[in-house]
Amino acid sequence: MSQINLASHQEILHFPKGGKPSLAPNEWQVWSGDQDKSEDKGASFTLPDLEHGKKGILVPFTWWLSQMNSDHHEADVITKAKNGQIGVWFATDDDILKHADVIEAGQKVWPLVAAHFPLFRDGRSFSTAALLRNRFAWQGEIRAIGDVLIDQLLQGARVGFDSFALRPDQNLDVALKQFDLYTVTTQNSWRGKRSTCELHAQ
Amino acid sequence: MAMYKYDSIDQTLVDQRVAQFRDQVARRLDGSLAEEEFRPLRLQNGLYHQRHAYMLRVAIPYGLFSAKQLRTLALISEKYDRGYGHFTTRQNIQYNWVTLEDTPDILAELAKVEMHAIQTSGNCIRNITSDAFAGVAADEYVDTRPICELLRQWSTLHPEFAHLPRKFKFAVNGAKEDRTVLLCHDVGIELKKMTNHDGLTNELTANIYAGGGMGRTPILGSLIKQDLPWNVLPSYLTALLRVYNRFGRRDNIYKARIKILVKALGPEEFARQVEGEWAHIQNGDDNFTQAEWDRVAKHFTKPAYKTLPALTNEQVLASAPEIERPAFARWIERNVKPHQVAGYASVILSLKPHGTVAPGDATTAQMLAIADLSDQYSFGELRATHEQNLVLADVEQAKLFTLWQEAKKQKVALPNVGLLTDIIACPGGDFCSLANAKSLPIAKAIQERFDDLDYLFDLGDISLNISGCINSCGHHHVGNIGVLGVDKDGEEWYQITLGGEQGNHAAIGKVIGPSFYADEIPDVITNVINTYVGQRHEDEPFIETYRRIGVTPFKEAAYKDKKEKEAQAFSGEIS
Repeated sequence: MSQINLASHQEILHFPKGGKPSLAPNEWQVWSGDQDKSEDKGASFTLPDLEHGKKGILVPFTWWLSQMNSDHHEADVITKAKNGQIGVWFATDDDILKHADVIEAGQKVWPLVAAHFPLFRDGRSFSTAALLRNRFAWQGEIRAIGDVLIDQLLQGARVGFDSFALRPDQNLDVALKQFDLYTVTTQNSWRGKRSTCELHAQ
Repeated sequence: MAMYKYDSIDQTLVDQRVAQFRDQVARRLDGSLAEEEFRPLRLQNGLYHQRHAYMLRVAIPYGLFSAKQLRTLALISEKYDRGYGHFTTRQNIQYNWVTLEDTPDILAELAKVEMHAIQTSGNCIRNITSDAFAGVAADEYVDTRPICELLRQWSTLHPEFAHLPRKFKFAVNGAKEDRTVLLCHDVGIELKKMTNHDGLTNELTANIYAGGGMGRTPILGSLIKQDLPWNVLPSYLTALLRVYNRFGRRDNIYKARIKILVKALGPEEFARQVEGEWAHIQNGDDNFTQAEWDRVAKHFTKPAYKTLPALTNEQVLASAPEIERPAFARWIERNVKPHQVAGYASVILSLKPHGTVAPGDATTAQMLAIADLSDQYSFGELRATHEQNLVLADVEQAKLFTLWQEAKKQKVALPNVGLLTDIIACPGGDFCSLANAKSLPIAKAIQERFDDLDYLFDLGDISLNISGCINSCGHHHVGNIGVLGVDKDGEEWYQITLGGEQGNHAAIGKVIGPSFYADEIPDVITNVINTYVGQRHEDEPFIETYRRIGVTPFKEAAYKDKKEKEAQAFSGEIS
């Protein structure tokens, strides 16, 4: 697992497809999972309690996998999942295509998923989001977490992210202005077809 | 003019890119954006921080530009730099002395003439390079320019591939002879026309080579896909880049290029993974449409050629006064290339004068004069070559003599194209903060040593490439003679490779042994060249002699002086 740098966020920048960017209080707590690969404790890790004001918890995808593969699930996990209180976050080295069955099943219970940026210039989660949208036809929210900076927002929004937990030092007013920098595009994205194609479809 | 013209989409995009960068620079200057986080942003817009100042690398997409654009490049060199620009091996131009504060204004001036610096650096898809003679070369199967332009647009600000493990370079070739160093690119696209089953119509297809590169681990690319229809290039390349983006190494910068992934997996397995990804998207709407082809291809028409008789060399030479003929003949032989259209030729203007400036440099005055020459002789169009020279692609044979006279006045008519002094060199330690050693003084010393045109002509085709560090911007791996700057205990040393070649027989040169001091290099090159002269068969070029007799005689000659010096030092001690 890559280094984890998950701050607790007050506000999340939402930019739904076809909508406008806005800020809203963060309702999801991100659990790093306290993963220790050397000991592979896996399923024995217990979920932390929900923080005050949070409605659900994002767990590491690897932890979810270990729960799925375990004979004994924590009752708490099943209850929470049934209540729509559990989503997963993907680390950069999670091979989501390798676990397509788990993700397809998970789509029915996760209200949202997230993909992690250990460092802003690590672009693997861009492909994760693109695959979730294109391959898995994921319709729900995909949140960018980790080292999420102002100048990645546009790229993230185009590959399939629709919410962003920005690094706490980022200026949210500047962040909100990023999405209307361009009125044209020259390749397709999750949000729309390229301008060069639409021009001639008319 | 037969080159791409921006429509409102392209123009809007570059204008908005300038505005975005202006805001990023402002945030850097007011301190709200840290240098560490600004760095990838400026690099993706061509802005490096070098030894003395910022360097701005401006794209000349697939090497094609206009007189008007060259005039803007010239004016920028005067207004914002120190009166010159440096044409690179990757069909870009670099300014070595710009300031961060001026950069948004420079980019705005470039945008006015449909130019930009987008993705000329950074870990993204770089400026796509191609054959400088596309559309005019006599040995061309396919004019690569429409595909290059379509791919330029497709790759511009591509969101999924904005932060790849490392830089990613495409080359596109469509001619019999490869003038793009295709196999040394992350992806090489070889275009051809396949005859359809009806035997009448042609289909444009591509062969894809992946995993080539220079740098620390030089590798030639492997063929991973054949006969790919042109229109599915976006989905296939998306699949290829997605596999690289997900699985390319990010733990070690020296192992992050796609060549390492392809090598680790093996080309067959890499191709299989790309194929697996592509299966899901190959019929999607990423693919190019006929309308998109038409939007782009309509610009690459043939210019208004006159109906002219094809002239023989003798007829061309006859246009010069007798006293000038020998020198003119040399220029014709080296710097003039055959053309598709009768009565026309392509002319290479050499930016490699002996011993004066850096290979590939042009002054403001030269750029302005060359722009005029292109208006006067070549439909106002120019090309930048991988070898760091400029090309006037469409010159009437009957006007070659007057053009030659004009070019001589600008000192861009030295007939050394393809000869030993047509050196490819990176800016090296004089400018670049990555360099271990200087390259420009080495180039100058070699040019001064071999400043005899009779001798250079007698030696014939030899490529000599110099890189100031293992990043290999001077392409030393594919020079017949390669010179690489290395650092040993804080001192500048130079390693020699022999046997590299670009083109259809691309090969990576072999290191001959321990490195040399800068002042030893001219003698080393002389000894290598003398070995060739002593051993060659009639009309045998350097590279063929090398292949026939092997590295040993060259190696022995290269270290001859070193041994003598050591022997002298030894005898001095005992006497």
